[in-house]
Amino acid sequence: MNGNESRRRYNELTRRYFESPGSVGELSGPGVFRGAAGSRDQGTWVQFDLLAESGRLRAVRFLAFACPHTIAVSAWIAEQSVGRAVSATLPESVQDLRNRFAVPIEKMGRLLIIEDAWRAAAAPAIDYQG
Amino acid sequence: MTAGSPGSTDTAVTNQGLASPMSASQGSANTAAASPVVYLDHASTTPVDARVAARMAEVLNSATEFGNPAAASHDYGGIAGSLVEQARCQVAAAVGATSSEVVWTSGATEANNLALFGVAHYYRERGRHIVTSRTEHKAVLDPCRELQRRGWQITYLVPDRDGLIDPGQVAAALRTDTVLVSIMHVNNEIGVVQDVSAIAAICARHGSAWLHVDAAQSVGKCPVDFAGLGVDLMSLSGHKVYGPKGVGALLVSERKDGPRGAHVQLAPLLYGGGQERALRAGTLATHQVVGMGLAFDLAASTSSVETARIACLQRRLWQGLAAIGGVLRNGSATHSVPHLLNVSFDGVEGESLLAAVRPHLAVSTGSACNSSLGEPSYVLRALGRSERLSESSLRFGLGRTTTERDIDTAIAVLSQAVSRLREIAGTRPEKVPNLGTPG
Repeated sequence: MNGNESRRRYNELTRRYFESPGSVGELSGPGVFRGAAGSRDQGTWVQFDLLAESGRLRAVRFLAFACPHTIAVSAWIAEQSVGRAVSATLPESVQDLRNRFAVPIEKMGRLLIIEDAWRAAAAPAIDYQG
Repeated sequence: MTAGSPGSTDTAVTNQGLASPMSASQGSANTAAASPVVYLDHASTTPVDARVAARMAEVLNSATEFGNPAAASHDYGGIAGSLVEQARCQVAAAVGATSSEVVWTSGATEANNLALFGVAHYYRERGRHIVTSRTEHKAVLDPCRELQRRGWQITYLVPDRDGLIDPGQVAAALRTDTVLVSIMHVNNEIGVVQDVSAIAAICARHGSAWLHVDAAQSVGKCPVDFAGLGVDLMSLSGHKVYGPKGVGALLVSERKDGPRGAHVQLAPLLYGGGQERALRAGTLATHQVVGMGLAFDLAASTSSVETARIACLQRRLWQGLAAIGGVLRNGSATHSVPHLLNVSFDGVEGESLLAAVRPHLAVSTGSACNSSLGEPSYVLRALGRSERLSESSLRFGLGRTTTERDIDTAIAVLSQAVSRLREIAGTRPEKVPNLGTPG
């Protein structure tokens, strides 16, 4: 009660980004690269849209059919990536993300889905010169 | 009732007797005292009625009622024994049984275990086949699996998409070596009511198959007539009926009519002092038993009025949730109690749905006994629901404390949460046909 159990299950950062995830949605137009991984039928699906310009990320949006940890991590990555150089690697390693968001070990596979979705979107954007 | 809203004015008439464990004005040490969480999990457990709690406290504090109810050699034991017998009469009267048919247990789980293992072992030379259904409570399914491990054969009937077992399925499953059929009365996840009377008639015609019914969710929600239904064994729970946890009963029929010409026999699970006609050894907890007796007495006297009120609230809840779109009602809308409503929300992930509503609503995903496992409801899977829809389902348990305001809060919370999660998920589900709208 009083959200105590919720606090035990999700840390403060997870709850904050789950309850108010910025960067939700999709992008379209030139310079937008989309990547997705996972499947809704399997319970976890993540999509990133990256707007690349002059080798940097001008905007990032995400969609996630997923648990609170996955939504929160995806939202954080989208937020942190804006303004950075386009890279196929995440702003933090999967292990560091796991620690930051206190993701249970049994959910490691979901973080890898996030990583796969990011790579699918970012890899083709690296050489984009627009 | 919104928990911790002592100023709330739209509490139900029947609230007056509740102990208000979530009311700050009671000075309770309960951490939920200041919680704004709306309690809609009455199928999991109910708050103890204030009159029940008061009577139990009287027994605990009494200088004359503390005796061992089995101690017949002095008045202390006699007084406690008479309290136990009075409670036995109250429970029996509430469910159409005779007092001598009531065997006290620690709860419905023990009652189910006593029924299943008791019949299986007593009649093991006659046959080792049991019929049950895939949507029974774990307190029936797990003993069945254990019996299977010990060499018994179990037939698990599959309900239709509404959760109902056709009595014809039972008839078809019976064999010459069948000794027991165990079918629950009201399902604890979806609230459907099985045709126990028809199944009882089939068992009676069969001649050697006794019928056990788990009725933990029935009392106070729908009429229960142990004798009229023709059931041989029936499990009851105290805490589902605004009574205390830790006490229940198994009704053991003494009827000798019908083609069998005998009543059911059981091998005990516990051996000791021979209490409860040697079916359940151990000193009875007088205060628990007294609490359950009073709770059943109160349930019997208020249930018809209460059921009508709950039906209105459930209709309101379902109409509000259906308006969200992309929702499925799980279980028959016509053969069910109004206290339970189970709904799947298409296009949202289950854990996120529960996390989104948790700060505002106390609801469960499936049975409380399974929700800690984090697995999709096996009951909904048995109804043919996909894993995704089974995971994104919520069980709403309405009860005496539930008000219109609670229902409206639940609708608003769910509407917002589902809309937000669908936006995040990028899902725009078409409205799916509902399985039935009550009323």
